[in-house]
Amino acid sequence: MKKEVLIVSTLPQDHPEALAAIRTLSEKAACRVMNVYEKQFSPCVGCNACWLKTPGLCSIRDGYEDVLKAYLACDAAVFLAGTALNFVDFRMKNVIDRLLPLATMYIHIVDGQCRHVPRYDKEYRFGLLYAGSADGDYLNRWLDRVVLNLGGSSLGAFPIHQAKEVLACI
Amino acid sequence: MHLVIISGAARPQARSNTAKIIEAFRQGYEEGGNTTEVWYLSDRKQWTSAAAAFDACDNVLIALPLYVENVPGILLEFLAGLKPKTEPGTQLSFLVQGGFPEASQSRCCEAYVKTLPAQLGCSYGGTLIKGDMFGLGLTSEKNRRKMLVGFTEMGRQYAKTNTFDEKTVGQFAGPENLPEGQLRMFRLFGRRVQRVFVGRIAKKLGCRDRLDAQPYQDWVK
Repeated sequence: MKKEVLIVSTLPQDHPEALAAIRTLSEKAACRVMNVYEKQFSPCVGCNACWLKTPGLCSIRDGYEDVLKAYLACDAAVFLAGTALNFVDFRMKNVIDRLLPLATMYIHIVDGQCRHVPRYDKEYRFGLLYAGSADGDYLNRWLDRVVLNLGGSSLGAFPIHQAKEVLACI
Repeated sequence: MHLVIISGAARPQARSNTAKIIEAFRQGYEEGGNTTEVWYLSDRKQWTSAAAAFDACDNVLIALPLYVENVPGILLEFLAGLKPKTEPGTQLSFLVQGGFPEASQSRCCEAYVKTLPAQLGCSYGGTLIKGDMFGLGLTSEKNRRKMLVGFTEMGRQYAKTNTFDEKTVGQFAGPENLPEGQLRMFRLFGRRVQRVFVGRIAKKLGCRDRLDAQPYQDWVK
C-alpha cells in the first residue's frame, strides 16, 4: 500500500519546480497537497494559549488547524519552501513556528536535554525540499532539531530538484 | 555611542519577555551616557522606521525569542526585506532568549544568526544567549527583577566593549547542559512538580481543560 504523504507548499501554486517535485512524490506515494502560499498563515504570536489556555488549540483561527490535523493523519510530511538569507523563507518559518500545539507545556528529558512532551502518540516524519539558494547542511541540522522537539524523525532537507532523495527516506 | 535595538518578538510589547529583557539591557547600556532607540516588529507600523534605523545606524542589536530552533518568522520577514549595506562599518549583534534552561538549546539558532551580518553587509558583534526565560512574564515582580538584573549588567559590559565578549556571555548563558544531578531530580520529581505549578498558572489564565488534552486525537493515524 502506498504511504500517505502530506505536502505543505509555501511556493506559488504554479511554481514549476514545486509542480515537478509533487509529480515525483506522487509516483510512489499517495500525496495530499496543501498549497498555502496564498493563505499566508499568520506568524505565531507566542501567546502560549495552545499550551496554557486552550491546550492543543491555536488561538489564531486562520485555517492552520487543518494543517495540524493533516500532520496527524499522514505517514510523512514534506515541506516545499522558498528560501531567503540562506534559510527557508518567512512563509515556511511561519508554518513551522505554528507547530506548537502538537507539543504540550510539560517538559521531559530526552538524551540529556529538556524537550516538550508531545501531545499525541504519533511518530512525525518531516522532510524539506527547498527552492533557491540555502545552506543545505544547516537546514538538515535545523530540521533534525525541529522534529526532535516533537519526538519524530527527519527525512532530510534537499534542494527541490532532488525530490527523489526524500522519497527514498519515506 | 548610539545603539539601535530591534525586537524580533511577535508578542505585543506589553506582554513580551524580549521587551522586558531589552528594557533591562538598555538601562545598563545607557548608564555611561550612551543612547538607544528600540523598534518592535510586533507592531508592523514600526517596520519602516526600524528599517530606516538599520540603514542609518552603524551599531545594531537584534533581540529575539527562540522560535522552533531559530529566529521567529516575523523577524525573518523583516530581515529579508532589508537592503544589505554597501559600506563597511556597521556592527550587528544578537540577543537570543529561550524557554528551556540549557544554553545548548540556542546553539542552532546562534549558528544561523552568525551568518546574517555578512549577508547584510555588517560585521558580527556576537550573540548573548540566555535560557529559562519562559516564566519571566508570569512570575512575581520581585522574581522578575532578579531574572533581569543580569541583562542590565550585560548592557553595561556591552557599553564598555561594544561587543559580546565570548567568555563573558559564555558565563552569563549558564549551563550548556543540565548537570547529571539536576537531570536525575527532574526525572524523579519533574512531572509532579510541573503538574502543580504549570497547572496553577493555567488555571489563573482561565484554562478549563487538561494541559495534555488531545483535541485532534480522531485524526491520528
